[in-house]
Amino acid sequence: MEKKLSLQLNNISKTFPGVKALSDVSFTANPGEVLGVVGVNGAGKSTMMNILGGLLQPDKGGSIVINGENVKIKNPKEAEELGIAFIQQEVQVFDTLNVFENVLASDFNKWTKGKTPFLNKKDMKAEVKKHLDALDCRIDLEAPAYSLTVGEKQMIQIARALSQGGQILLFDEPTASLSDHETAKLFEIINNLKVQGYIIFYISHYLDEIFELCDRVLALRDGNKTGEAPVVELSKEQLVNFMLGHLVEGAERKDARDKDEIVMKAQNISGIKFPKDVSFDLHRGEILGVWGLLGSGRSELFNTLLGIDKKTDGKVLFGKDGKLEEVTHKQLYKHVGYLTEGRHHDGLFLDMPISKNITSSVIGRFASKLLGILNTKKENEESRTLMKQVNVKAVDENMIVSKLSGGNQQKVIISKWFLKNPDILFMDEPTKGVDVGAKTEIQNLIFEKSENGMSFVVISSELEEIMNICDRIIVIAEGKLVGEVNREEFSKEALMAGIVKQEENDEN
Amino acid sequence: MLKKIKLFGQRNKQLLGMLVAIAGMIVVLSLTVENFVTWANITNLLAQVAPIAIMAAGVTFVLITGGMDISCPAVMAASSVIGVAFMTSFEVITGVHLVIGCIILLLAGAFFGLINGAAIAKLKMVPLVVTLSMMTVATGLATVVGGGVGLPVLPSSFSNFFNKYTVIGMLIVIPAILDFILTGTSFGRKVYYIGNKEETARVSGINTDNIILTVYVIAGVCAALAGIINTASLATARATMGPQGQILDIISAAVIGGVAVNGGRGRVRDAVLGAFLIVGINNVMNLLGVSDYYTTLIKGSIIIFAMGISSFKNYYLARKAA
Repeated sequence: MEKKLSLQLNNISKTFPGVKALSDVSFTANPGEVLGVVGVNGAGKSTMMNILGGLLQPDKGGSIVINGENVKIKNPKEAEELGIAFIQQEVQVFDTLNVFENVLASDFNKWTKGKTPFLNKKDMKAEVKKHLDALDCRIDLEAPAYSLTVGEKQMIQIARALSQGGQILLFDEPTASLSDHETAKLFEIINNLKVQGYIIFYISHYLDEIFELCDRVLALRDGNKTGEAPVVELSKEQLVNFMLGHLVEGAERKDARDKDEIVMKAQNISGIKFPKDVSFDLHRGEILGVWGLLGSGRSELFNTLLGIDKKTDGKVLFGKDGKLEEVTHKQLYKHVGYLTEGRHHDGLFLDMPISKNITSSVIGRFASKLLGILNTKKENEESRTLMKQVNVKAVDENMIVSKLSGGNQQKVIISKWFLKNPDILFMDEPTKGVDVGAKTEIQNLIFEKSENGMSFVVISSELEEIMNICDRIIVIAEGKLVGEVNREEFSKEALMAGIVKQEENDEN
Repeated sequence: MLKKIKLFGQRNKQLLGMLVAIAGMIVVLSLTVENFVTWANITNLLAQVAPIAIMAAGVTFVLITGGMDISCPAVMAASSVIGVAFMTSFEVITGVHLVIGCIILLLAGAFFGLINGAAIAKLKMVPLVVTLSMMTVATGLATVVGGGVGLPVLPSSFSNFFNKYTVIGMLIVIPAILDFILTGTSFGRKVYYIGNKEETARVSGINTDNIILTVYVIAGVCAALAGIINTASLATARATMGPQGQILDIISAAVIGGVAVNGGRGRVRDAVLGAFLIVGINNVMNLLGVSDYYTTLIKGSIIIFAMGISSFKNYYLARKAA
């Protein structure tokens, strides 16, 4: 970098009708450091980032100073010219274009041969190679984007930001869909960029990542800056305190399982690709964890067990008072709930009100026997009760779900299954993309319900979370069951042991 | 009370818009056409709307699940021909024959719908392709069963029973029942769930296949009901009574009524009002002596305009939310 970069925000406010999304936020970002931005959903992180990206205009009175100059960022184009680049949570690439075309997708005009409409592919490749080399990333320039892993696609995004002359890089939850390995690689790259003198913002819900990667952290709550400090001076509790304004009280897990009573027995479950020959028992009131690396076939195990994917072999036994009987997936589904990983894909009816979402799992319960006439009054009443119980924050039960924050959306899905009150609740990544406060609330709800006899099967990528909430964890690798660990023996090593053994077996 | 009216207005903008348009049309017609507001004229018009409105009501169910059914007019003709072929197969046609014939007619409509639904829900075939094929199959069947010389004429008792007052009664009662099924029962709610997000509906434990199958059966039965009305006014049935172009009127009625073509939104009530508008436009053009070519041109523009408004509304809402 030739000239010294700097970015300064002075007294930035943003008022939406009825809400003050940001009030008087000031800070300075320095080159050569990663600035973490934390806050619960609705704290104002997105608003701030959108102001920097030119999507929103701040209220009058504040100022943004870049490289010593007072600037107004009127639209995304101007943000780009100022060297501000976003790296989004959802990886955005053109699947059928290849790598170098993807990197330079936003400015093909610059890469034509003279005045002809033809692209100068040689120069383009050289340019892209330069940026990818800087990222120490070796992917084939000619490879089509659909053949890449999510991590590699993320590299394309970063390279795209650099090729546009990005100097102020805003990472918005970049690790949400990355595997552990890819996350490590990304951190390496971010650290590398930091050393080269870029200004880097890093937004994340994962506090561990903030502590691992960031140098300084900025905490927002209800639009106010509640804390700013070098990471080394902070403890996790302090950071959470900044974000929530109080300390979270996570309940301790009291083992509530009835070891004698088995509610479900899965025997030799096999699917088309995954899972392969998986058997396990589930006790009443137990919280069973399913752990494995990304792509190990965890979600496929749930889908196959519940009949959403085709089951090729194996059987499922289910029983209410210890008498197990073989059941079809349809019979089983009457007694289970399934919180899927893709909240927007198959968890919610986004354009419908909260109440209709909550009652969707048991809509028959609100209908008269003969003609199926719905009792909407009862629907609304019960939805309100559940919203209160699960603490869904919304104006009322008629609010459209797409307007809620991620954490509240997740709570709507949980309400939906709590209303059904199943014997077993399957949860795939129950706290993904959910802020710290809501996360603890969700965990406490799981504890409470399990003490009342509901059994849980929980998938989580977060080792700390799964070890915190589960009584027992089964480990899946390549669709096979490779280990089982009881709460007393929980440790990363114990969980990894099975996976390592599996990999060794494969090599031989 | 005032607040309630305001709330109703906010939730039913589409309805109010259409009522205004229909009122406007009536005003224009009564000013330009002599003797427009006569009892005979109005009742004739209503009876004319009925077949389109009832078919639009059936298609609304399909559209809300995110599906498509373009076979309605053909199914209407085919089931009518089958029913009438049964009725006229007797030497002396009695009332019993006519009643059984009507039941057969309705069952035929349900059967065509069932085949559509099974292919789409169970075999996961594309709705447009399935119903396009059904359209040609049903038209072919109607031609074959109807024979070269056409079916004999039904006894006048049939047309007398399904006179224009009965038909107007059907126009009110059938959509009212269907609207209630859609908005007030658990079945209807499931239709909306599926249209909003089929995957979520499936995970929520809803038997999506059965619901999707059922909506196509409903569309088939509605087509058959329209068939009874058309049969009564023709006093017989033939393959040409369901011109393929009519599907445009049916789908447009639903779309103008605010039924979302990609599912999840809309009401039978509004689709029926849409049918009033579409049939009304046809009549206005007719009365004003506009040639058929212009009529289709203007109708097409109105549909694009109506869809444009709803798309623009979504675009505007999205912009406002960002």
